[in-house]
Amino acid sequence: MSDAAATLTQDRQKLEMSALSAPAVIFTVAMIAFPVVYTIWLGFQTFSSTGKQSFAGLANYSKLISDYEFWHGLWVTVALFVLSLVLQLVFGVWLALVLFHAKRLPGIVRSLFISPFMMPPVVAGMMWLVILDPSLGAANYILQSFGLPPSDWLASPTWVIPTVALIDSWQWTPYVALIVLGGLQSLPPSVYEAAQIDGASPFKTFQRITLPLLLPTIVTAAILRSVDLLRFFDIIYITTQGGPGNASNTLNIYGFRVGFEFFNIGYASALMLTLTAIVFGAVLAFNRLRGAVAWS
Amino acid sequence: MTDAANTDRWIRWLNLVQLVLAGVIIMAPTVWMVLSSFKPSFEVTAYPPTLIFTPTLDNYVELTKTTPFMSYAVNSLIVTVGSTALGLLFGIPAAFAVSWTRISWPAILTLAARMAPGTLFLLPWYVMFRQVGMIGSYTALILSHAVITLPIVIWVLLPSFDGIPRSVFEAAQVDGCGVTRILWRIALPLVASGVAVSAILAFVFSWNYFLFALVLSNGDTKTLIAAAFNFIGEGSTQWGALMAAATLIALPPLVLAALVQRWLVSGLTLGAVKG
Repeated sequence: MSDAAATLTQDRQKLEMSALSAPAVIFTVAMIAFPVVYTIWLGFQTFSSTGKQSFAGLANYSKLISDYEFWHGLWVTVALFVLSLVLQLVFGVWLALVLFHAKRLPGIVRSLFISPFMMPPVVAGMMWLVILDPSLGAANYILQSFGLPPSDWLASPTWVIPTVALIDSWQWTPYVALIVLGGLQSLPPSVYEAAQIDGASPFKTFQRITLPLLLPTIVTAAILRSVDLLRFFDIIYITTQGGPGNASNTLNIYGFRVGFEFFNIGYASALMLTLTAIVFGAVLAFNRLRGAVAWS
Repeated sequence: MTDAANTDRWIRWLNLVQLVLAGVIIMAPTVWMVLSSFKPSFEVTAYPPTLIFTPTLDNYVELTKTTPFMSYAVNSLIVTVGSTALGLLFGIPAAFAVSWTRISWPAILTLAARMAPGTLFLLPWYVMFRQVGMIGSYTALILSHAVITLPIVIWVLLPSFDGIPRSVFEAAQVDGCGVTRILWRIALPLVASGVAVSAILAFVFSWNYFLFALVLSNGDTKTLIAAAFNFIGEGSTQWGALMAAATLIALPPLVLAALVQRWLVSGLTLGAVKG
């Protein structure tokens, strides 16, 4: 084949390849990129009560800085994020170790372990709503039968964030565990054997060898969970709708209500763009961390 | 030596205890939900809660009688199947092209889109769909849910396509096979199991997704998940029906996930971890 003919075939191939990814790219641009640009524009608009729209400059953003509900929402978002992430990483690593040492786990057991995060978060919210009912729920019955005081759980402004974090952790800890388990299984067995020969205790082996080697996997799990946790919505919307009062009003819930309950689309757009910046900022920060702890 | 053997046995017991403990914590709430859905109405709210009761289907009967549960289920099915099909239609060729050319930005673009909070798109969608009168249409719901299914399909299939030896394609090219033909005739049959896993995962996550249908559906097109809210509004005496609804909504994703649990890990992490 001559050079010219080869270039021709290559060009044709490139064209065909572009044609193959074109539908996905066009769809994403139409459904995501264009709407996001539109949201940025909406963030500079105000909508009057009659639905009339006018340019507002940075008014929505200066409103955001002086809006108590925004800062409160940011606090709720961050508190829920930190609490849930710590719970899920700690118990996820623990569960992964337990599963790792349980050799030959039958498929049915694996299915049961993944069942929490395969069910809709909405369903998780529904079932916990019943279990955590302050007066008739099973959770308080169990607490009381151990002689512990009952809790108002989701109905308590103080406990609602830890309770939501618990529900989310019930649902997603097995997910973190599966990721970490994948990391454990890919570690070379030789490092354990060397530690055993050196007479290291199981705890020391974990602390000095397993954990450092697992860190990149754990950070990966943290990234995947952070994206969901920072935009927390489903479980809260089903169980408390941001309440009691505004005690669980995360930024995503707040932005949703500003947009679709008060129909202040301009301000909601500014809120959502800010939240998006926070999510991407967190992902980038974690990604750097992953680079710093990588070992291969 | 017996000392070491003793320690070994003790550690194994300790691990088994932890495994059972974890299993109980993970399973108990779901078991409680299913049990409650079969309880007679006076026993659902009994305090102290009862474990022994005569199971009944009353809650399920009441659910289908007092709510349009079946039509919600049909809506959910239409939206989920539609968005999964759309995700496969766009995602399969894109994953193939990315795997072949190593030009990965189309795949990253779809993934980045999934990282933003859904409300970010929902605001402009709402404004745009309202302008063209598409709020409450299946089309709007399927298009919005395809945003969820597309990155799942692409990222689950990427490693599958990467796993096919290049020589297979090169041989086909020498035979004069065009790229598109290679994809549908040669590559696709080789990654059939990957396609199945991606389709099931796309189905599960589209079925489970709450936010978009909350705003984009109306009374006629409401999906089960979006309607879940209506079931809760009924008050605490309706716990039985609520738990029956929750059980039925959770059933399809749980059954499907059980089918592919072996391949789930790498799929769920969008390729970040090899399972």
